Amino acid sequence: MSDVDETIRHVLEEHGRLPVSVATLDDDEDLYENGLTSHASVNVMLALEDAFALEFPDALLRKGTFESVGAIRRALESLGAVVTPG
Amino acid sequence: MKILVGIDVQPVDEVEASIRNFGGRYSRRLFTDHELESCGENPLTAATGLAARFAAKEAVLKILDTRETVPSWKAIEVRRAEGGQPEIVLSGEASELARQQRVEQMSLSLSHGGGIATAVVVAQVAEGQSGASR
Repeated sequence: MSDVDETIRHVLEEHGRLPVSVATLDDDEDLYENGLTSHASVNVMLALEDAFALEFPDALLRKGTFESVGAIRRALESLGAVVTPG
Repeated sequence: MKILVGIDVQPVDEVEASIRNFGGRYSRRLFTDHELESCGENPLTAATGLAARFAAKEAVLKILDTRETVPSWKAIEVRRAEGGQPEIVLSGEASELARQQRVEQMSLSLSHGGGIATAVVVAQVAEGQSGASR
């Protein structure tokens, strides 16, 4: 698993308020179907911004951006995300 | 005339935690200046009002057809009318979606208790549109 994937999953565990362990979810498994709420997705977004030292532009602030680990990774890659220390 | 209804609930403690974790970044991303002013500066009392407003935004999104376009949070605003009752004011993509769906009027009711804030939105929609209550 890449550093980016590990960070995404860590952020989801910390801020996603999912009723299931993120470790049990495949990359393309629907996070909303697994209990991610709209409000929790906002927290995930803000925590990802902190973790990757970037800001999601308005164009990416939509449900589909956070619907799976894979979708989040693709969004981060489109923003040129790199894992920052700490 | 068709009537569509949207409803949502938001735990207040989740909003409190978000304010604690992310501060102004959280508030400014979701809420307009008017909404933030309406809820006051005390984080404890503000969280209840903000939770109700977040529920209202979600309730509106349950009425609008967001399959192709999801409006930004701040394009759905809760305002206080002169009489004190809350009302929905749409702008940008939210306003455009409502126009396309022929939403003619929205009424909003907010409430909270037991740590939960809730919002109900009732929309009057002209016949012939394609939206549906979800």
